[in-house]
Amino acid sequence: MNWILLRGVFEKTIIMWRRYLFNSLSGLATMYIVFCLLFFGFRSVGAAIDVGDTVEGLVVGYLVWVLAIMAYSELSWSVLNEAQAGTLEQMYLSPFGFHWVKAAHLLSTLVLQLAMAGVMLLLMLITTGERLSLDLFSVLPLLLLTVAPVYGVGYMLGGLALVYKRIQAFFQIVQFIFIAFLVVPPGGSPLVQFLPLNLGNHLLRQVMVGGASILQLEVVDLGMLLLVAAVYLAAGLLVFFRCERVARRDGLLGQY
Amino acid sequence: MEQEELRLDTVLKVKGLTKTFRRRGRCVSAVRDMSFSAWSGEVLGLLGPNGAGKSTTIKCILGLVQPDSGEVEVFGRDAMQHRRECLRMMSAVLEGSRNVYWRLTPRENVRFFASIQGRDVRRETERLEGLLHLLGLGDWVDVPAMELSQGMKQKTAVACALARDTPLIFLDEPTLGLDVETSIEMRGMIRHLAEVEQRTVVLSSHDMKVVQQVCDRVVIIEDGAVVVDDTTDNLISLFQRRLYRVRGSGRIDGETERQLREIFRNIGLPDVDDDSFLLEVEVARPEALYDLMDILRANGILVEGISQDEPDLERAFLQIIGREEGVRA
Ligand SMILES: Nc1ncnc2c1ncn2[C@@H]1O[C@H](COP(=O)(O)OP(=O)(O)OP(=O)(O)O)[C@@H](O)[C@H]1O
Ligand SMILES: [Mg+2]
Repeated sequence: MNWILLRGVFEKTIIMWRRYLFNSLSGLATMYIVFCLLFFGFRSVGAAIDVGDTVEGLVVGYLVWVLAIMAYSELSWSVLNEAQAGTLEQMYLSPFGFHWVKAAHLLSTLVLQLAMAGVMLLLMLITTGERLSLDLFSVLPLLLLTVAPVYGVGYMLGGLALVYKRIQAFFQIVQFIFIAFLVVPPGGSPLVQFLPLNLGNHLLRQVMVGGASILQLEVVDLGMLLLVAAVYLAAGLLVFFRCERVARRDGLLGQY
Repeated sequence: MEQEELRLDTVLKVKGLTKTFRRRGRCVSAVRDMSFSAWSGEVLGLLGPNGAGKSTTIKCILGLVQPDSGEVEVFGRDAMQHRRECLRMMSAVLEGSRNVYWRLTPRENVRFFASIQGRDVRRETERLEGLLHLLGLGDWVDVPAMELSQGMKQKTAVACALARDTPLIFLDEPTLGLDVETSIEMRGMIRHLAEVEQRTVVLSSHDMKVVQQVCDRVVIIEDGAVVVDDTTDNLISLFQRRLYRVRGSGRIDGETERQLREIFRNIGLPDVDDDSFLLEVEVARPEALYDLMDILRANGILVEGISQDEPDLERAFLQIIGREEGVRA
């Protein structure tokens, strides 16, 4: 990755984020409010039951979901928005190639998103009064591997949206499907582990709630996590490349 | 044509470019077997009516649209096989004012697009600032593009293309939607690029005036095919009908008319009334106008007024695409 490219793209991301600070922060605030509703609702309903580690589980799951929808919408929406705004074609005119510009863009937004997820985590911990293990050496790689399949899904839908504009109606629904992926118990069927977010969320709990180090996790599980990430990313990019070919053929890169 | 192919300063060569869009069972032949070249330091105009295929041609060259067949060479390199290398040489402002981030200011836009071209914006601050000023954006560099007027947005887009600092620049309808003054500024800017900075500009337009003023050469496109490829000057003189209308009192008698016909081929003498006349003469060389006057003077005919049809590209253009009644050779 080229340093000049990376710097230029980071600069733009930070400017955009700062200029629309209110938007950025109100998104975060909304998600925090939703969490509070969940948490306090959960507590009043489940008052009779022993809540135990489920609150901690809720915090971890919510953290993963927040990061997932930020990463996902950045990809699918930005491709569509930029196609509509005409800047997508300009990105395709970069001699670095569109995909490196996009990668730099995703990297720069990921850094911001991780920071926002961190703030969110802090707020959640303060609100719930829970304590979690925050061993960054274990948490960060797991978190990244957990959301990696989401990038695959984002590429897939972003690509499809280039060709079939109508699909954007589907964008928001996917965010809620992610919740389903998160909450299905992983033990049920081995296939469940192939769902995005599912296994990663499970492992993150082991680390953040159970206090394990990444090195203490099952090698099979870690391998599986890597595999799932790779499969989704590859599938997403493959779909995107195909859609890109169709878009080039039908002149859709600049259509609105 | 043979001669042209051998030129060493060929910046862009398009050969047999063809593109048919197929969608929902409909076929549109947007570009049909199109061939032309652009040479270093010239402004080449792609002129054609709406839907002629100008934008599609430009997008095919840039690799934004995949052509069905044909070749594109940029500085002697096959643009389809070496797309990324060729993109180092090309920048473009595409149709409409949607080439920039509306949420960013002109300065931020320019920096971003220079970066994705691989230009080190920290070392080039001065050049980029100069560009913004050159385009008259000096007072607006810190205003988000969405708050700028149409003309300012268009200038921002041009600044972003120039920020990429490429030897070949495409401008698709650069003056569309601009007011007269801004359009004139834009034309001056384009000439500056070619004359001072020695860049090659390929612009598309359906505005004949723009093309006539800024382009060294014109490729006229109709229905996706090249109908004319010539210098602007040639094209104008080709259609320049030095047709003079002479008005005066008295009558042009048979003898005078005979003398006139000896020298001038195309003569018209529409009937006016008894003691005045209207004479239409096609004068091939400007000097022949003296002969005309000599004959009239020798025959005692008083000239009261002369007018001339101004030749322009618009007429040439309309004649070529056969939209004007009574096409004359
Ligand atoms: N993506 C597309 N899908 C289908 N048809 C298209 C597409 N883009 C262009 N066309 C068709 O191809 C033809 C050429 O279009 P193009 O935009 O290249 O013309 P143009 O010369 O740029 O016209 P204008 O002066 O209006 O900009 C038109 O008939 C247009 O409808
Ligand atoms: Mg066009």
